Amino acid sequence: MQEEAVSVSELTHAIKGLLEEGIGSVVVVGELSNFKHHTSGHRYFTLKDATSQIPCVMWRSRNPSFRPEDGMRVVVTGKVTVYAAQGKYQLDCISMQPEGIGDLYVAFEKLKRDLAERGYFDPSRKRRIPVMPQRIGIATSETGAAVRDMITTIERRFPAVTIVLRPTLVQGEGASSDIAQAIRDLEAARVDVMIIGRGGGSIEDLWSFNTLEVADAIFASAVPIISAVGHETDVTIADFVADMRAATPTAAAELVTATTLNDIMYSIDLVTDAMSASIADHISHLSEIAGSFADGRALRRITERMQLRAQRIQDLSSRISSALLRNIQQRRREIDSSAALLATLHPLAPLSRGYAVVERNGKPLEMDHVLEPGDIVQVRRQTETSTVLVQTTQPSTLQSNQ
Amino acid sequence: MSKATAPTTLSLEQQLKRLEEISSLLDRGELPLDEQLKIYEEGMLLAKACREYLDKAQVTVEKLSATGS
Repeated sequence: MQEEAVSVSELTHAIKGLLEEGIGSVVVVGELSNFKHHTSGHRYFTLKDATSQIPCVMWRSRNPSFRPEDGMRVVVTGKVTVYAAQGKYQLDCISMQPEGIGDLYVAFEKLKRDLAERGYFDPSRKRRIPVMPQRIGIATSETGAAVRDMITTIERRFPAVTIVLRPTLVQGEGASSDIAQAIRDLEAARVDVMIIGRGGGSIEDLWSFNTLEVADAIFASAVPIISAVGHETDVTIADFVADMRAATPTAAAELVTATTLNDIMYSIDLVTDAMSASIADHISHLSEIAGSFADGRALRRITERMQLRAQRIQDLSSRISSALLRNIQQRRREIDSSAALLATLHPLAPLSRGYAVVERNGKPLEMDHVLEPGDIVQVRRQTETSTVLVQTTQPSTLQSNQ
Repeated sequence: MSKATAPTTLSLEQQLKRLEEISSLLDRGELPLDEQLKIYEEGMLLAKACREYLDKAQVTVEKLSATGS
């Protein structure tokens, strides 16, 4: 019963013989996938159909007559070889011919044409991406680099948000339905904007984003959608229907955080500076008006005249009749009350009503003295006097009447 | 949830709008001094609250189940 054990090499040699001699040279038709033109000049790719695939190599010395691209249907002539060191078999391609355009491309172009006709790509129906969304939906694979890149980018730029992550199948069977469902789920979760996408991959990997089902879900969504599928060069149907296309998931994360935390901090600084400047401006304008009283010359002249008249009345009163005197005393009282009224016009009286006076070196500023940035003045208020550095000055809009 | 630290029921965007509003009111300078001082103080408090809120802000990640709703 027991057979004699063979070495791995012997078994591999037997397989190699069976495959290489048994199959020999073949002509194979299939679809190109994962085509890589290595810097060495050799080309590595996969030939596939609906259910199977075979790794292929085309050495540098052999040149195809066209530029191979993923998705193309090609006819390849070659032979099966076994790479013993890794226990792998592959098709060594001698020549390659295109067989029309690949089925996937045909399907892609047809769907694109249909949807364009139905208005799915109309620029007029593109919604604006909110500038400062609070809830950001993400539909992508939970395990890929894409989701990490997006969360890290959002954290770095604007962490004051909630990310609603809907783990989503992004390739293979059922992926299209799941993407469509994820869009509806995120819509129900009341996000302000959503990103659907995935990292790079082969055209088959990205295919779930090229279906009518996904296009319909994007089209029907009430929430603006950014599509970020694969790399810069990958374009999917989802990209055309979405409100905005981002070259990569990271770029999408940047688009939903167009306003960064630093931007906002800076604008708060600007606004508060402007507020302070406005209020300082207003107060200095008021004290300018108060300053015209503080100047005092007008007041002094009036007071002197009052005193002179009072003196004259006094002189006269001693000489004229008491009847006249009463009359004169009456007039004096009137003058006194006028003087009391004037006292309320004392330079510092407005302070009790919330105004302030601008002084320099203890003296009120002259009317015609123009303040300049860098000047240091004292602002005297009822309760305190502050030393103030002038930041900005503008000409007053109100000219005080002299 | 970082939401709890929001100073008022207004969203950050609404608060920033109010700040802009106050700033332009002060810029026009049509209100009486008392009123101006009042909204100036409101604006300064709002700015302070916004800064504190942003300083503390952290991304919250909510995960929806993959089975659909």
